[in-house]
Amino acid sequence: MCHQTVSLAARHLEENGIATIVMGCAKDIVEYCGVPRFLFSDFPLGNAAGRPQDPQSQAFTLELALRVLEAAPAARTTVQSPLRWSADPSWKLDYSNIERLSPQEIQRRRQEFDRQKEIAKTIRDEPAAAQ
Amino acid sequence: MSEQDEYRGFAPEHDAPIPYMKRIRDYYLALGYGEPYRWAHYAEVPFQPLERPLAECRVALITTAAPYQPGKGDQGPGAPYNAAAKFYAVYSGDSAVDHDLRISHIAIDRAHTTAEDSNTWFPLPQLRRCAAAGRIGEVAARFHGAPTNRSHRTTLETDCPELLARCRADAAEAAILVAN
Repeated sequence: MCHQTVSLAARHLEENGIATIVMGCAKDIVEYCGVPRFLFSDFPLGNAAGRPQDPQSQAFTLELALRVLEAAPAARTTVQSPLRWSADPSWKLDYSNIERLSPQEIQRRRQEFDRQKEIAKTIRDEPAAAQ
Repeated sequence: MSEQDEYRGFAPEHDAPIPYMKRIRDYYLALGYGEPYRWAHYAEVPFQPLERPLAECRVALITTAAPYQPGKGDQGPGAPYNAAAKFYAVYSGDSAVDHDLRISHIAIDRAHTTAEDSNTWFPLPQLRRCAAAGRIGEVAARFHGAPTNRSHRTTLETDCPELLARCRADAAEAAILVAN
């Protein structure tokens, strides 16, 4: 949802004269929406601006984003950061991968999802909380 | 030697960007939610080249992170998903000072990262360093928080125009949008 939100916002700003760059980790969602410029980091969601506790990787990632912002030749320019999260790519098999969950875990997650949805609805419906 | 062996310089098949849309669709179908989510999708994409060198531009930062809210449950690092920390309206903050922003309300990869270092999702301090070094003209006076909403209508008709209005009010010429 988050990658979709920023993609839609980037499009809207761009349509109205503000040049944009999206930094993100979900390549398919951003490219399916379609944005002008995208710096893709092949990292777990939550690390679009670099590796934790690694200022050098964070500085490198933002600099790369700035370079894409100024140099992209056309819309839908995606640049993939050369940084690797880990030498072992098996972390990519885990996220929301139903094939890796037991029936008990699926049931537990369903209950948790419904519970969180109810909490979110309560907040959304409170006018003051929206500020 | 098999054909596979000949090409052992190749990366493993799963060492590719995660197919999130497929994973999420299969995940919620298996959890029992029938109608798959319809993701935003466009054939046409706008393009606005920078009109001046970046070293002269005022740049805004847009985030989906939320200000830390005491009393709204565990917001990390390492917090489980926490819908109580969500927000539903665009907010802004002073770019000149540091902020405690969290991402416990977002479906980040909790198996492989812990949200311990906000610089991995909110690069405001690094952007200020870029301005100080002359890499960009300046950081726009405010950064902006974008609510993540399932409703395309809310995002497109309420939140996007609000973000634009705030960027314009600050005379931003470019924007960096960081997703989680």
